[in-house]
Amino acid sequence: MSKNENNPMQDRAAEFTQGLGRMGFSPLGAALFVLLLFTPVIPGLDNQYIIRWIVFGAFLAAQAVAFDFTAGFINVVPFGFAGIVGVGAYTSAIFSNQSLNLVFHPAISPWLAIWIGAFVAGLVGFGLGVLTLRLRGIFAAVMSWFVGIALMGLARNMTWLTRGPSGMAPNTFFASTSNVPYLYVILIMLLVIYVTLNLITRSHIGLAFRAMGQNYDAACASGINPTRYRVMNFTVSSLYAGWLGGFYAHYVGSLTPTSIMDTSKTIEVLAIAYIGGRGSLWGGIVVAFPMVFLMEVIRSHWTELPGIQFIIYGVLLILTMIYYPLGIAGIFHWLRKRLVPAAAK
Amino acid sequence: MTESGKSGFQSMLSWLTGGRVAAKVVVLLSILLAVFIAIQSGAGRLVNVFVTGGMWALLAAGLALVFGITNIVNFAHGESFMVGAYVGYYVFNPIHDYLADHPSKVLGLGAPFLGILAAALAGIVLGAVSERLVLAPLRKRTKEGWIMNTFLLTAGISFILVNSATIIMTANFKGVAQYFEIDPIRILGVRFSVDRLASFLVAMVIILAVSWYLKWTRTGRAIRAVSQDETGAQMAGINLNYIYTLTYALSTAMAAAAGASLLFIFQAYPTVGHDPNFFAWYVVMLVGLGNVYGAILGGFIVALLQAATQEYIGIAWADVIPTAVMILILIVVPSGIFGSVVKGVHEQS
Repeated sequence: MSKNENNPMQDRAAEFTQGLGRMGFSPLGAALFVLLLFTPVIPGLDNQYIIRWIVFGAFLAAQAVAFDFTAGFINVVPFGFAGIVGVGAYTSAIFSNQSLNLVFHPAISPWLAIWIGAFVAGLVGFGLGVLTLRLRGIFAAVMSWFVGIALMGLARNMTWLTRGPSGMAPNTFFASTSNVPYLYVILIMLLVIYVTLNLITRSHIGLAFRAMGQNYDAACASGINPTRYRVMNFTVSSLYAGWLGGFYAHYVGSLTPTSIMDTSKTIEVLAIAYIGGRGSLWGGIVVAFPMVFLMEVIRSHWTELPGIQFIIYGVLLILTMIYYPLGIAGIFHWLRKRLVPAAAK
Repeated sequence: MTESGKSGFQSMLSWLTGGRVAAKVVVLLSILLAVFIAIQSGAGRLVNVFVTGGMWALLAAGLALVFGITNIVNFAHGESFMVGAYVGYYVFNPIHDYLADHPSKVLGLGAPFLGILAAALAGIVLGAVSERLVLAPLRKRTKEGWIMNTFLLTAGISFILVNSATIIMTANFKGVAQYFEIDPIRILGVRFSVDRLASFLVAMVIILAVSWYLKWTRTGRAIRAVSQDETGAQMAGINLNYIYTLTYALSTAMAAAAGASLLFIFQAYPTVGHDPNFFAWYVVMLVGLGNVYGAILGGFIVALLQAATQEYIGIAWADVIPTAVMILILIVVPSGIFGSVVKGVHEQS
């Protein structure tokens, strides 16, 4: 204490780090995030190709965070996650639709429509939370899967609204084809999602989530209202999933049921979240960027082997789950304990 | 009131309200639906229901078996179906080509069965390998959260198998137009396609054979012992790892055989297992996880529901309407209409 009084700079630095910590950032994490913000102006990284994979990395990272919020905390794997993302994407696309070929063409700005998409997805999440109230573990996961498949079926069949399997072409956010503005949009979304979910999980609500995830009956016996917390968790996670879906729709500019709502999309997000470390939230972010890059390299390198990147996903998921269930986050904690013994407390 | 004084309606009512109400209601409704379909669309439609129902039953029974005994939640069941379909194709097709030059009645009749047999053997190998490579190491390390972990692990296996198939087999459809080049048989004015009849029989024979195996052989008894009490079975000298691998292999073999015998409906394709996986899951959730005999009945109920949706609402809705019905049923009876027979499902999840 006395040392800090002598050195106000150090004091302020400590305060700053503490503040970052409250938001869920380590100094290293914050620095890396700032680096991402500056990629468009760093020479060598400033081409559209690199920016594009950062956008996709951030999109996947943000999904992994929202997924982990449910899977890693209340221990219910939302296997219909992709379906919920799709609900957000489709709602947003439908509300911003200008094409007169479809019955419904309100032509709202994508910037507004994305919020409607998030809201509707949140409602679906709320409904899913209510639906799965009586179900536990695997039953809830399978139920969520069924709901995801039903949602995909709806998107495929309501051709008057979604054009079905032939797909929609939603308006993009920006008229220009540059990826740079999208990079800032998705990075801000990622930041908002991560910081808010992190604040929630560090509050007493997060404690209740963890308690429910570890021992449901004991949590209920200690006075945690399972209905309230599970529905809350599902709603928040789905809200963000839908929000991200809206981003996807207005970034890629084309939307088919299989491109976004297929179960394999859920497994992709699940793999990222689990390799990152369940219950850490930030693990998924750390894994998503290099993973997307690696997958892109592999995909473009071995074009004669389509889908090889997904095999690697699967293998990594299996290896992580068997041999190191704590994931990357666990490795970081271990390193930190070894390198900074004081920080371990 | 004396027993004989009970009216027929009352006794029916008391039967309905006693025991598992939901099971009885669902079974009764299915019978009514079957009669309705038979009257509205002819008995030929009902035959198709039996064929798909038999296959769903075979798939779901395998799923229920493996869950009941090893508590593995197998999400890769559809991929065994896919592998079976490919093996069936690659065994049947060369024989078929050979037959074009050298006609032989015996080989012509036997070729499909050879394909199905080869598929079942491939299924055994696939099951044994994936159990040894993926699930056994996890079991050795931790049993905590086992059910959920196996669900995710097998999801990984499914991901790997589908994409490997895309690489090795490319995304082309491989199917056969017809297994048996025999005209449909007419029984009481209803045409029965021989292929469909044969696949139904295959499903029933495999289900019977497996239940015979479980009931009467020494290994079968060991399997049932493990499902009842793992620790007790181990103390009696049963090799748990062997039983686990065997059960998993048995279940994948059942799925692979189903894939081969339905090759004339579901052409071999990397993602062909998606729907069968979904419907097998659908059946086991409907009847209750781990309930093998319930799964057999459930297969037919689900096929009926599917057929009714396709017939009266539209073919595109075939996965939406049954899912909605399923969600409603699960809200009322979360552990399935016949009840989950596995103890500790909730605790271990």
